[in-house]
Amino acid sequence: MKKLSFQDVIEKLNKFWSARGCLIVEPLDTEVGAGTFHPATFFKSLGKEPWRVAYVQPSRRPCDGRYADNPLRLQHYYQYQVIIKPTVPDIRKIYIDSLKSLGIDLKAHEVRFVEDDWESPTLGASGLGWEVWLDSLEITQFTYFQQVAGIELGLVPCEITYGLERICMFIQEKFNLFELEWHNGVTYGDMHRQHEIEYSRYNFEEADIEMYSRMFESFEKEANRLCDKGLVYPAYNFVLKTSHAFNVLDARGAISQNERPRYIARVRGLAKRCADLYLPR
Amino acid sequence: MKDIRNISDFLLEINVEELPASYVRPALDRLKNAFIEKLRAKHIGHGDIAVFGTAGTLICFIKGMQMKQEELSQEISGPPKKIAFDEDNNPTPQAIGFAKNQGVEVKDLKTKSTPKGEYVFIVKKVKTRLTKEVISEIVPEIIKSMNFPKTMKWDDSGIRFARPIEAIMILLGKENIKVKIGNAPIKTAKGLSAGSYLKKLEKICLLDQGRRKSEIEKMINSAQKKLGLDEYIDKNLLEETNFLVKSPVLMVGEFDQKFLQVPKDVLAASMSKYQRIFTVSKNKELVNKFIAVLDGKGRNLAKMRKVYGNILEARLKDSLFFYNDDVKKPLSEHTAKLKDLIFHKDLGSMFEKIQRLEALSSFICERLGVGAAEKEDIKRAAYLCKSDLVTQMVGEFPSLQGVMGMEYSLKSGEKESVARAIKEHYLPKGLDDNLPETTQGAILAISDRIDNVVGLLGAGIDVKGSFDPFGIRRNSLGLIQIIKHKGFRIDLISLIDKAIELYISSDRRSDGYDRRSELKGKFKLPPEKLKNKIINYIKERLEFLTPETRPLELKQAVFASGSADIVDTFARVKALSEISSEKYFLKAAKVCERTSNILKGARGEKTGMVDQGLLKEDLEKEVWKAYSANSKRIKDLIDKEDYKEATKAYADAFFEVLHKFFDNVFVNAEDMLLRSNRLAMMQAINKLYTNDVADLAMLPQIAVE
Repeated sequence: MKKLSFQDVIEKLNKFWSARGCLIVEPLDTEVGAGTFHPATFFKSLGKEPWRVAYVQPSRRPCDGRYADNPLRLQHYYQYQVIIKPTVPDIRKIYIDSLKSLGIDLKAHEVRFVEDDWESPTLGASGLGWEVWLDSLEITQFTYFQQVAGIELGLVPCEITYGLERICMFIQEKFNLFELEWHNGVTYGDMHRQHEIEYSRYNFEEADIEMYSRMFESFEKEANRLCDKGLVYPAYNFVLKTSHAFNVLDARGAISQNERPRYIARVRGLAKRCADLYLPR
Repeated sequence: MKDIRNISDFLLEINVEELPASYVRPALDRLKNAFIEKLRAKHIGHGDIAVFGTAGTLICFIKGMQMKQEELSQEISGPPKKIAFDEDNNPTPQAIGFAKNQGVEVKDLKTKSTPKGEYVFIVKKVKTRLTKEVISEIVPEIIKSMNFPKTMKWDDSGIRFARPIEAIMILLGKENIKVKIGNAPIKTAKGLSAGSYLKKLEKICLLDQGRRKSEIEKMINSAQKKLGLDEYIDKNLLEETNFLVKSPVLMVGEFDQKFLQVPKDVLAASMSKYQRIFTVSKNKELVNKFIAVLDGKGRNLAKMRKVYGNILEARLKDSLFFYNDDVKKPLSEHTAKLKDLIFHKDLGSMFEKIQRLEALSSFICERLGVGAAEKEDIKRAAYLCKSDLVTQMVGEFPSLQGVMGMEYSLKSGEKESVARAIKEHYLPKGLDDNLPETTQGAILAISDRIDNVVGLLGAGIDVKGSFDPFGIRRNSLGLIQIIKHKGFRIDLISLIDKAIELYISSDRRSDGYDRRSELKGKFKLPPEKLKNKIINYIKERLEFLTPETRPLELKQAVFASGSADIVDTFARVKALSEISSEKYFLKAAKVCERTSNILKGARGEKTGMVDQGLLKEDLEKEVWKAYSANSKRIKDLIDKEDYKEATKAYADAFFEVLHKFFDNVFVNAEDMLLRSNRLAMMQAINKLYTNDVADLAMLPQIAVE
């Protein structure tokens, strides 16, 4: 059997989760660190309405850049995010079925659920769950959300975040993600290597610290101003922009250990404002 | 007699989504204790209780549980006999009324004598209930009361547990008992008894955590032996692995030789943290192999080995990236970054901390008379000891603090003794860990611990039960262990004073502005109170570390006396324990007890110096003569720390003469002057021993002969 390409895996997952009642939505067009930041997760986890969604989210973590030199780390990668709210009792079986649908032989290989209580301090979000390991390769973060924006959730959503590159590594038996086949013989490296090298240089060496510091302040101000006007979605978009500015400053080594908690608290405070404004709707 | 037909084996099975490995063992212990407690309270007899568990299954198996509660009778008292019965022993209306209220016949009334006279009573049988009814009540209580470090909710039932409960099954004999625990489904084992169900489970996996652990250990050791490798297993990783797998299978894999250039501890940390795999070594040198413990047979080992190996290499590549980045500059150049690293939000930065450590360790050096070269090492080590906290490697592997400090300082050309002190200053990490061996490491370790305990207690952080997030207890225990291990003769009180002073003076800014008044808000306690709190705290820990004595109270008696010199305290406990059944010891204790009793009676009275001119009776002159003749010798013996001889001399000097004195002389004489003079003499005799050796009056009633 031909091995699934990166593109095939996304298609299969879309099909799988669509058949289980998920809306398949498109990525958010703002820089984010993870699929959790997408309004389809952040806002939709709040409140009493059931919700099922799946989507790919390109994610940026400036600190994780390795100049395309590490086979496992990237500053830009793809998450496949699923939210099932409220969670269902056989959610883990369904998840295992999704791996089987990708052709992974779970008799020959071992899936392990390893304790990992996930937390996003900038979003004030936390939950209990696991890293899912496939033969010691972490392929998924599996979390039962308990809080978002510091708000205790009424309906507990289950968040399943697949690392698409990791799963493809396993399926294609390539242990360097730049060698993964995106599709039709085109590799992940063809698509992203130069991008990784340039962004690693940018994030670590070139990003203008003074400009990002200013931007952080401006974005924060704008988010607050928009909250005052009750414009929740535009306000939230600026919250995400502060978060990315913070990440770039961090990668540049411009944030001291002392300042770090203060920056995070500022972003969290904004996210909380947006959540509070969103909820009564 | 137990009726064999009336007992059955019992089994509770909780299926749960994978618990964190570290939760399982404590959860099983709690499950067992909760059953013991509840069954006792509900008067249900039973045989052995066993608990078994994996990350996904918790089982409590109880042999021979009685099918109903024990028959219990209860006594209910009624009126006094003389009211309940007349002179002819006929029941009065009171007796009839009591019997009626209790639902018994008058003829069932019994009488018994009590300290208050004879009373009427009845014996009433308490209604017994069937075990299965009681079980369906207590199991939900037990499950809901199982505490975990963190709990969660997963549905709208309101129940909380460490992870979602998948199913519950209860078997009493062959009967399935249904209970309601949130929305958890009830499993049944149709037709199987508790015992045969357990056997069936045991065929599927290694359910017994003890057997499973020794099986894993055996498998690893025999693989190591076969490959000619050292037989060594990381104990913590073994314990964790034991609760990650149910049916252990071993796999040995390899990685590229070139990664052996990664420091050994980094390799081990990476393997353990990211993949839970064991390092292997030959003649104590790591080799490019690993051991993984998998779950379940029939895996594609060839492919798995490849995945494990490749992931490991990718991780190690990342570690090398960190390492190479960290060593681009010497360790001392990382130190300045400690200004940005918070030690504790109320206690300033790590940079301020290392400044205090420098001062505190040099204070200890002076007290102990440590040589100039060693002192210089300690000063340098104090400056460098926290710098690895701001390196990338320790950011990635916090458990490598100190280890990287040593590695990087050697790379930076620091002296071996300095590097070692940096590593050792974190020891011991737990009660059973290694202690610092070098003087330099030990002194720095003591300084760091005193600084932690003083700062954290001062900032108002406390230890509550087993909740000790800042490690105050661990720090105090370590402090005592190190001082004892190295035999350092140092007065803890002066050390605590110095540490408090350093916190206060470090608040004096370089421009001379004195922030001491602000500090009052920072330290939640005034220095004197804080000091007492710390001393008491350390004494408690000291008690915890001292072996049990006979009598038990001997420990307390020793702690009540003497200076805060830890080595000396241990020496006194040891010496007195060894002689605690000697006659002279009992005599010495009696002297302490009698003098102490008389002084207690005189509370509030002035007892100053003894005035020889006021000694009137012959016997009291004799007592004073004994004091004058022996006190110097006794003091000398105490100063020489010969506590056995001191005790003997004390008994010989005072036991006989005091015995006679107390029989014949009335201490609390009418004449105030006489009385306070006699009390002063008693005090002098008492303090001679109890000030510096032990307050033996704290022992239980002492009988000599």
